[in-house]
Amino acid sequence: MARRFVTTKVEIEGREETKIVELPSRNPEPWGDDAVLHVVGQRTLRADALEKVTGTARYTADVQRPGMLHAAILRAPVASGRVTKLDLAPALAIDGVRGAVTFGDVPGVKIDGVPLMDRTIHYAGQPVAALCADSIDLAYRALQSIVIEIDETTPVLTADAALEEGSPLVWPHGNKHRASPRVSVRGDVDAGLRDADVVVTREYRTPVALHSALEPHGAVADWSGGRLTVYESTQGIFMTRREVAKAFNVPHSSVVVICQYMGGGFGAKNGAPASTYIAASLAKQSGRPVRCILDREGEQTDAGNRTSTFQRVTIGAKNDGTLTAISVDATIPLGVGGWLASPGKIYHELYQCANVRSSEMFVFTNTAPMASFRAPGHVEGAFGLERTMDVVAREIGLDPLELRRRNYATRDQDKDREYSHKMLEACYDQGAERFGWNAARGAPAADGRVRRGVGMASLVWGAGGGPPAYATVRVNRDGTVDVLTGAQDLGTGARTVLAQIAAETLGANPADVRTILGDTERLPFASNSWGSITTASVGPAVRVAAEEARDSLIEAAAEMMNVDASDLESKNSKIHARTTDKCMLFKDVCEKLGDVMIIGQGSRGPNPENTALAAFGAQFAEVEVDTETGRVRVLRIVSAHDSGRIINPTLAESQLEGGVIQGLGYALFEERVIDPRSGVTLNASLHDYKVPLLPDVPEIDAFFVNGADTVANHTGAKGLAEPPIIGTAPAIANAVAHALGIDVDEIPLTPWRVLRQARGDESYAR
Amino acid sequence: MRLIVNGRPHDVVAPDHETLLLTLRERLGLTGTKLVCGRGECGACTVLLDGDSAYACLTLTAACAEQKITTIEGISIEGKLHPMQAAFFEHDALQCGFCTPGQILAAIALLSQSPNPTEDDVLYGMSGNICRCGAYPKILRAVLAAAEGVRDNG
Repeated sequence: MARRFVTTKVEIEGREETKIVELPSRNPEPWGDDAVLHVVGQRTLRADALEKVTGTARYTADVQRPGMLHAAILRAPVASGRVTKLDLAPALAIDGVRGAVTFGDVPGVKIDGVPLMDRTIHYAGQPVAALCADSIDLAYRALQSIVIEIDETTPVLTADAALEEGSPLVWPHGNKHRASPRVSVRGDVDAGLRDADVVVTREYRTPVALHSALEPHGAVADWSGGRLTVYESTQGIFMTRREVAKAFNVPHSSVVVICQYMGGGFGAKNGAPASTYIAASLAKQSGRPVRCILDREGEQTDAGNRTSTFQRVTIGAKNDGTLTAISVDATIPLGVGGWLASPGKIYHELYQCANVRSSEMFVFTNTAPMASFRAPGHVEGAFGLERTMDVVAREIGLDPLELRRRNYATRDQDKDREYSHKMLEACYDQGAERFGWNAARGAPAADGRVRRGVGMASLVWGAGGGPPAYATVRVNRDGTVDVLTGAQDLGTGARTVLAQIAAETLGANPADVRTILGDTERLPFASNSWGSITTASVGPAVRVAAEEARDSLIEAAAEMMNVDASDLESKNSKIHARTTDKCMLFKDVCEKLGDVMIIGQGSRGPNPENTALAAFGAQFAEVEVDTETGRVRVLRIVSAHDSGRIINPTLAESQLEGGVIQGLGYALFEERVIDPRSGVTLNASLHDYKVPLLPDVPEIDAFFVNGADTVANHTGAKGLAEPPIIGTAPAIANAVAHALGIDVDEIPLTPWRVLRQARGDESYAR
Repeated sequence: MRLIVNGRPHDVVAPDHETLLLTLRERLGLTGTKLVCGRGECGACTVLLDGDSAYACLTLTAACAEQKITTIEGISIEGKLHPMQAAFFEHDALQCGFCTPGQILAAIALLSQSPNPTEDDVLYGMSGNICRCGAYPKILRAVLAAAEGVRDNG
């Protein structure tokens, strides 16, 4: 008997996971480059744009429930210590305050290793208690009546401090993560360096960046008869359900998680955060629905961040540009917890090189825990790697793009396997052409006050997706189609592209197809929308489901039309005979069926064996630097991407532009600043933590090189959400280095950093 | 007190310190206007007061008694999208959509002040509205297209 379950591998956020997955009911012929497609590849308008432009898209904070109360969270004002006294009674005595929770009230829940509302203070901004009241205004006022006394201790705020001999301990087991140092070696770096004609070593610093999604984390929780409904702004409804069910010791079947629209996530909304447990526990205590939405300060201090890094990079090369060795030692302060996003991985992947070594030191500090942030690890690592590549190019007198071309990786070298499809070379060709790279790079350096420069960077990201993911396609009695799947649309366009895949497969008018997301009770499982995997994971499941539904529809029509099903095909929401002009509208077939339903079920099959799945790209930047003020202006960006087949070019380009703009913010403005003594975040607002605004945005030419990846999956699509942020900052930094003829070793390139690096003057202190 | 919101009267009892944003969202159920920063940094709560853009999070309800308040729910014309809504829709000038109501109202206010904006006028006129998804290039295009449409149609 043929095996129905097989083992396969799936890469998510740089981590490869093994899954045992059931083979789908069918395995459609891949849509190759020559496939004739009518809906896939079209610039269909965004499916939920109408709700969004009319203000009727209901986000989590917009949810109103009868009798709903409002929660506010009391946060630790210091970064380290122990609560010696906490008295909720004065707050609870206020008329209109309906409940309060603190340490021990939701036992067993830990968030990034920190017990929920812990009595021990691990970082400034940590939740300590929460209450709910009739209005949000009253809830925040009542917080001030809670009596709290803290025995403060000295916090550990930087990786250097954490690693110092005799440093206070962030955790009893020490300040290093038990996996530190995590070392990964291919070949022999020392031998590679001995073979090199040129060896360069540089040190880099990257900042802590904050996601700053406009919709903060938050939930509305509502208990009814032992069952809990959670409206949540989340990238993963099923992960949230699992965590909440465990915390409150109820079966999965007694928890419903709903998220219809979300106002951005960028990686920070992947499981249940403190606000969800607080809402649910206050709702349980008060017997009424509770809404708990973070205020902006809470969102900026305690909702995840991209870690800072320190990277010491050594690259050896031959005079002809051949890389002989790459080595990186990285130090990554996680905050008090988080996971081990790898800045080292891209050093192993991006270029052909026999000898590569990365060593990563993950360190705990008394600062808020990190979270995935759009291409976690790769964004940080790309800065050090791509800056150093430019230094090597300069040392050996080679064009930076040419150096990259000469070290083109044709295989996944760490795992010694082929890429399913790789068109990075086309990205180099078309990107350089559209940017005018050769002319721009070759232009003589100006010596005026304002200098121009150009730079570029490459990128790779494991965006192949994979199982498990499931979808149901239902044809309604009027011929309209529902696509049901538990994935999420963070603003990415998942709703739209999944409907396009279903419409293509069914032969339905796109306007008749709607995707329904975000409800654990009614929808089949799809994994978190993270790692740029949603289209490549869920898309094939939707296609299988739509094929099943299409075949049922055709067979039903065959019975009605008294012809052989093999003589029929579907197009434009009609079933046509291939050779005669006989035809039936979907709605007539379904009306005739009455309440006999047409339903298709689909799942995502395994990934190809022993094959690396990745998206690639090349990004080019031109900048202008004012040598008096240190101000950098990005003039234009060309961003060339290989993400396999593009289901909807308009939405895909929107995502590329968005990724480039976030990368620009990372390069120029964005850094969380904490007070070096207290550990309190000093810029926990959208005024002081600067994200790009409309006038900061340069001309952006973001595009895809065409080509379906038919090995990766049968839709030919790979992910594209994260790639555009990876190379943007190094391309900009390389352009600034080119403009000024200096090395750039630190971002963001705020004026004082530019002046420090341009003038080599350390008095421009941080 | 009586508020005139989207052309309709609403009698509300709100404390003197209550912001227009809270009144709109929590008392009148007009949740299209978003709370993001609560202190005038991001523009997501932009509404029109007598046709001028205002941050609802920094406006006290008590100060709005005599003014015409317009929110995202009130700009469609006889069930048809306002030309600015249509421009955002057609140009894909949004991703997650959370900033969109504020962007659209800021853009309407901008065009009412300068009906023939240059690109620079739009860049700076819209610089008070954050879009973290980075739909900016398409927001710029949408606003310029809407301005052109208004000129062409009269």
